[in-house]
Amino acid sequence: MAVAPSSERNARLAQLLSRVALGDQAAFGDLYGATSAHLYGAALRILRDAAAAEEILQEAYVNVWHHAGSYEAAKSQPLTWLTTIVRNRCLDQVRRRELATVPLTPEDDDAPRHELPSDAMTPAEMLQAGAEAASVRDCMEALDAGPKQAIALAFYRGLSHAELAAHLRAPLGTVKSWVRRALARMKNCLDRAGDARTE
Amino acid sequence: MNLSRPDREPRLDALAAEYVLGTLPVRARLRLARIAQTDTAVAAAIRGWEQRLSPFAEAAPPVTPPPRVWRVVALRLGLEPVRPAAPGPWWTRVGVWRGFAVASLAAALVLGTALLAPPPEAPRQPIVVVLAGADARPALIATVARDSRTLTVKAVGGTPVPTDKSLELWLLPDGAAPRSLGAIPATGMGQLRLPAAADVALNGVPALAITLEQGGGSTAGAPQGPVLYTGRVERLY
Repeated sequence: MAVAPSSERNARLAQLLSRVALGDQAAFGDLYGATSAHLYGAALRILRDAAAAEEILQEAYVNVWHHAGSYEAAKSQPLTWLTTIVRNRCLDQVRRRELATVPLTPEDDDAPRHELPSDAMTPAEMLQAGAEAASVRDCMEALDAGPKQAIALAFYRGLSHAELAAHLRAPLGTVKSWVRRALARMKNCLDRAGDARTE
Repeated sequence: MNLSRPDREPRLDALAAEYVLGTLPVRARLRLARIAQTDTAVAAAIRGWEQRLSPFAEAAPPVTPPPRVWRVVALRLGLEPVRPAAPGPWWTRVGVWRGFAVASLAAALVLGTALLAPPPEAPRQPIVVVLAGADARPALIATVARDSRTLTVKAVGGTPVPTDKSLELWLLPDGAAPRSLGAIPATGMGQLRLPAAADVALNGVPALAITLEQGGGSTAGAPQGPVLYTGRVERLY
């Protein structure tokens, strides 16, 4: 499932992580330099609040310093491992809000609390770029616009089912089945592409 | 989320997919994360999806974080390179208190929930500041009623209070020098006087800090010793 062009970077990051686990401060600085913009972008897109994203990032790197030794190279790639730490913290935070607040309406969504850089790609464009990177563009193109948009907004912006329904102006049940079917489709595309590469 | 039925595998995979995508509702989300800690099949299903979606995560444009993020991380971890290069007094560096404040925020939220549990009586809701050190454990808690000038500080969790030196509490106003509230008594508990009622005195003050000063507190009108604890001012109303 590994994507060839990033394997060199992942090897370097894995090496940095193993040095960080031994308390190597220079390696930690290098790791931060190589990964923080990626992680900050991910956090900012989900939280849409620069201060909150900064806090998540700080917590994440403090944790990485203390727990770099728990990274298992055999189980996940370093950037995936780091991204997962940050994404999970962000998603826990936005999902918890469901307990207390009403979902975003499309109007709220047009006026985010924090402006993302103006040259930022749309979630749909990111999904497209990801599909190309994973060599599954053709396979993903078979997805309808609605499900594709739902996946892109959920993954990059952290929208819940209810928020997706409001944003896409579709019934909740429809959105849930879009997400479910689109994920099944993606699995099919990705696993097939992975098999093709390993053959 | 019954994961013991015969169709466990596809159901588990669907749950893991929505967990990683982010759409799993909060209770199911937290539950699945908990199960994954001990159930290797669940953990593997989640990892599978993390791996599958990683090209999509990597395709998103990076955004460079402000330099203060690294400064706070380095400061919290006590990394060497940032120490000698510190320009100006520490309170002029915006990020200083912020990182510490994160962990104390978590603690404050827990505390806040407890305090918010009884029926709200708005004017009586206190302002609570949880002060924590680099290890993020709450060290002291400061509380004050909104309309009061008397702030109560209490050391918690066995925080050591020196007898030959003093812990001094500071207001860290936005864009201004710290303002001393005085030294905390060696008993680890005391009442300090605010310059005005809390609502007014803490307006524009995002955080408090505690420094280690000579006995009786700093005589210079500004912090002289190291920052031991910081905390964000949380208004529970």
